[in-house]
Amino acid sequence: MLCALLTAALPLWAHAVLLDGTPQAGTAVTGPAFPVTLRFNSRIDARRSRLFLVDASGKEQPLSLTQSAPDTVTAHALGAKPGRSRIRWQVLSSDGHITRGEIQFQVQ
Amino acid sequence: MIQLVEVFGFLSVILRGCTLALQTLAVGGVVFLLLALREPDRPLTRVLRWSALALALTQTLFLALNSAVLASTVGLPLSELTGANYFTAGCLTIAASLILAVLPRGRLMLLPAVAILAGTLATSHAMARLDQRPTLAAITLLHQAATAVWIGGLPYLILSRRPASHPVWKRFSAIALVAFGVLALSGAALSYFYVGGIPAVYGTAYGIMVAAKVALFGVLIVLGAVNYFGVRGNGLLTRLRGITEAEIGIGFCVIFAAASLTSQPPAIDVAASFVPAHVVAERIAPRIPSLYTPPVSLLTLSSENRNSSDLAWSEYNHHWAGLVVLAMGLLAILSRTGYAPWARNWPLLFVGLGLFLLLRADADVWPLGPKGFWESLSNAEILQHRLAVLLVFAFAAFEWGVQTGRWTSLRAALVFPAVCALGGALLLTHSHSLTNVREELLAELSHVPLALFGIAAGWARWLELRLPVADRQIPATLWPVCFSLVGVVLLLYRES
Repeated sequence: MLCALLTAALPLWAHAVLLDGTPQAGTAVTGPAFPVTLRFNSRIDARRSRLFLVDASGKEQPLSLTQSAPDTVTAHALGAKPGRSRIRWQVLSSDGHITRGEIQFQVQ
Repeated sequence: MIQLVEVFGFLSVILRGCTLALQTLAVGGVVFLLLALREPDRPLTRVLRWSALALALTQTLFLALNSAVLASTVGLPLSELTGANYFTAGCLTIAASLILAVLPRGRLMLLPAVAILAGTLATSHAMARLDQRPTLAAITLLHQAATAVWIGGLPYLILSRRPASHPVWKRFSAIALVAFGVLALSGAALSYFYVGGIPAVYGTAYGIMVAAKVALFGVLIVLGAVNYFGVRGNGLLTRLRGITEAEIGIGFCVIFAAASLTSQPPAIDVAASFVPAHVVAERIAPRIPSLYTPPVSLLTLSSENRNSSDLAWSEYNHHWAGLVVLAMGLLAILSRTGYAPWARNWPLLFVGLGLFLLLRADADVWPLGPKGFWESLSNAEILQHRLAVLLVFAFAAFEWGVQTGRWTSLRAALVFPAVCALGGALLLTHSHSLTNVREELLAELSHVPLALFGIAAGWARWLELRLPVADRQIPATLWPVCFSLVGVVLLLYRES
């Protein structure tokens, strides 16, 4: 048991699950402007959640998000440069759990 | 900040477990005092008040930590956080706990008790669901209330120090029977909604943890049944007390497993990530331990992107630890036969285990790795490992003294079962990462049996020490077997 405890990695705080969204991981979108939609498995507190567009150089641009449904947040990305990009998200679900994640995609 | 969020993830499960445990104690105390005892008892009322105060403190800590992490990661001022659902619910729990701590004994106590349950309910899976929210909220409320009434009432029953002939035993027994029924039915309903089906039971970490809860619940039923019939027969007080103590211990293990579940998404929501049966079967298929260790130079020493050498290193550690634990269990069995008195020195093998862990737990540290011994102690994780090794040595000395008759104190003898059960409970509580659902599930496949055998060994040994001599045969046989099984599971441990 001790051995198992010693080898157990520190966990991430994980609860809300991203069920669906655009852009999807591994796909390509046409820039420089495109919509971002993330749908989760639980109710989300959009006011206390954040989305960022991260370009290939690692520069972060915060996105202004709105709540289109209890489980869905949306935003509109502007000025995306061609190349590999990421949407970095952090959401607060209504039961108080903080979850983070990333979606990698290509901007054309 | 990422580190803070990750450490907070670990802390939050512990805090959540403490909150659920203290809520169970506080609400269970109210029901016990009003419905089972039905007479004033100042010491018990004091226990209830301290439980409520501790709950308020734990909830305040949770609120402060959650808010600090949220404020620093989303850049919001505190005033913006106060409107969040978790903040309102936390404040409700804190206020209700403080009121409960000062209210005079009486029916009015039921109001803050219900408010405490409502506060926890507001931050449950049920309230975050999109569908069937009222149904799930009602079932969750019943589940938590029944847990409080049964498990939370047990410590008060023991602390009441009433003789076995006192009506409080029969009254509590009847109340606990109803709570058991509600708990079983509501648990089955929650499993139906959150797990969904058999593939999720073996294919997700959530499902495995639910199965562990069910297994522990089965043990609780057996212990509860022994007490139920004991109370109605000629139950000796020492027998009733011993079994109730084990019931309390296992009950609180289940509560900590529940805390672990609250930090994971319900299995039904990760259907796309279910691990198929053939993958699970392949991983748990027994394989002869290779006892091969790669050289340190081949390790990546990274928790992510681990290579085959990292996996082999970890498996080697588990297998050798398993051999030592199995040897200890078998020697403990042998010492009980009376044919080999020397076998009672089995706890000395803990020293070997401690040295092994000291050398192998952190491969990048002296004497195997480049980091110096003192330098490595500035790393919190390595420091924790070193402290754990110190504990193993202390543990060896303690239990060796007990087994060889050098220490005759009952308290000293209870250290081994308490630490064993606590280790099992901690292993159940450790939370989960979503970064690799498959590997998380596959790790759980060995961690959960380890935890269950550890808990079973600990509480069986506890019963052996606490029950009347005539009742000790079954637990005395059971705990060394469970201890040996911990060794077997470690020997079969696989990461590839």
